[in-house]
Order: sequence, then C-alpha cells, then structure tokens
Amino acid sequence: MAALQFAFPSTAGGRRRLDTRSTVRPVRCAADRQALFNRIAPVYDNLNDLFSLGMHRVWKRMAVSWSGVKQGDTVLDVCCGSGDLAFLLSEKVGTSGKVIALDFSKQQLQIAATRQSAQSKACYKNIEWIEGDAADLPFPRSSFDAATIGYGLRNIVDRRKAMEEMYKVLKPGSKVSILDFNKSTSSLNSSVQDWMIDYIVVPIASGYSLADEYQYLKSSIKEYLTGKELEQLAGEVGFSEAKFYEIGAGLMGNLVATR
Amino acid sequence: MVRRSGVLLKSAAAGISSRLAEILVCPLTKQPLRMCEKTNSLISDSIGVSYPIVDGIPRLVPSDGIILQSDQDLNSSDPPQTNSS
Repeated sequence: MAALQFAFPSTAGGRRRLDTRSTVRPVRCAADRQALFNRIAPVYDNLNDLFSLGMHRVWKRMAVSWSGVKQGDTVLDVCCGSGDLAFLLSEKVGTSGKVIALDFSKQQLQIAATRQSAQSKACYKNIEWIEGDAADLPFPRSSFDAATIGYGLRNIVDRRKAMEEMYKVLKPGSKVSILDFNKSTSSLNSSVQDWMIDYIVVPIASGYSLADEYQYLKSSIKEYLTGKELEQLAGEVGFSEAKFYEIGAGLMGNLVATR
Repeated sequence: MVRRSGVLLKSAAAGISSRLAEILVCPLTKQPLRMCEKTNSLISDSIGVSYPIVDGIPRLVPSDGIILQSDQDLNSSDPPQTNSS
C-alpha cells in the first residue's frame, strides 16, 4: 500500500499546528503500529489513491515486475495490508500458482478477504491470507519463488530480523522486491516529501479525523534507511545482490535483493 | 466453501485447506504444525502452543499462540494424523 501508512491514535484533542520542524512523537513499538494500521484500515485504500493521485498503483506494478514473479510460482507478500500487491501477484502466478499474503493487522486482512470474495477473477482464489509477524515468518526455509513487501519494511521495528526472515524463506536465486518511500539523501526530495505531508496529506487526513495518524508518516521516513543503507543491510543478511531504484521522481524507492 | 480440487481438501470446520496447513510452520520453532479440526486451530506440538484460525485466516503472530496448559488440553486435540495424500 502506497502513500501513508501510519496512524497512532492520539489522546490529545484538537489538531496539530502545521510546523515542518515540529517533533512528532514516534510510534515506537510494534503494538502501537499494529493499532495504527487497524485504525486507518477503513479509509486506507481511498486515501492511498487520493494522496498519490493513483500513482501507487503504478509503483506497485513496478515492484511486482521487479520481483521476477512468473506463472505457476508460489510467492509471498509480506505486510500485505488490504491486498494490493497480493492481487497483482495473483494475476501473474495465475491459477497454477499460489500467493501467500501476510500481515499483522486483523482489520487490514478482513478488508483484503472481503475484496477477494468480491472479485470474479479465478486466479484471486489462489491467495491465502495469513495473520503473522514479518519478524517471525511461519514458513519453512526456501518456500517461495519470489517475495514482495510494499510500504511495510519502514514500519517494522526490527527490520534486520524481517530481512533475515525473508532471506530464509526465499528459494536460492529468488528475489525480494521492497517498495517504500525513499529516504533521500537529497535535501530537495526530503523537503518535497515534508511539504507534501504537511500541506496536503495531513490537512486531508484531518478531514477523516486522522491528522495525528498521518503525521507519523514523516517521522517514519526520517527513521527509515536510505537506498544505500538498504542495499548494505541486504548484503549483511546474506543476499547475493541488492540494487535500489528511485522511482516516482525520487519520492519512492524499490530495493531488489536476490538470495 | 469446499474446493472442487481433490488436492485442496477444505474442511468447513477447519476453514483452511490441508495444502495450506502443510506449508505453514510454527513462527517460533519453525517446526510443522498439526491441524486440529476439533478446536479449529494449528498445533505446535514441540512447544505445546495452539494458534487459532478465525474466519479462515490462521493467526500465526507469536502472541496469538495459546499455551496448552495440560495433558488434558493436548488430549482434547485430534491425535497426530498419518500422512495421507
């Protein structure tokens, strides 16, 4: 799921004053983040479309292509949320393949399952939804021909562990495609991201009473890893190759790592 | 909903296909799980934990695991099944 993912229920009344230098309380622990995604689940898909002007659909297709998925494969989507990437993967693997889609948010998975039952395409029946933790994947080693994680790695507290888990469950030679916001080393890109969050995203989110929730986005990007750091992390956990691509005019990035 | 395929046997009570149950492992021990239709859950025998299945979605976040307290809990689950394919 592209765009904004984060929502921490705020106990403070009123809305935050827009201030690009304001310090946002980080949503530290996994339970907080789980609650956040549960909370924004009902409007998540609509806001993704709104905030990215539909571009998230393009970025997700790119992420799926980079995963190398092909017909008949068994593939994994981690942090599947409401299922965008899982549905794209399902179209690629077809009725002879299998998509396992995992998320830790019950509400997001419920929406995903509802979307699946509303679809008529036969291939979508090959998606299985699993409630699980990206840092403790419930799959044996070398299970999958490809894996994806879209707008998820940034929100995982123990990213190294999640990368290690994805490495283990991939078959040798297979790829993981990791799509997320780009934590850019360019001050221009960072400024554009900050501006868009402060002056477009948060005001719109406030209309849904989710202003505080979407403020988390800014701090989560600042706490994320740059492309180079992601490539380095992938190498450290054992991936033989790792390449980071900037997309969406540098606002987004996609790491492709090969086991 | 029961799948037509002979391979994908889906028990209405269990809510997940036996094929799916075969590819899942305990998130903590990475050992195979045993499907228990009586309690509609996946059992990790090595650590005595049961993971529920709700609305056909297995809940395999470690904190979702329920520790099977006693031998009675273990005995109330289905006995280990011989592999049949």
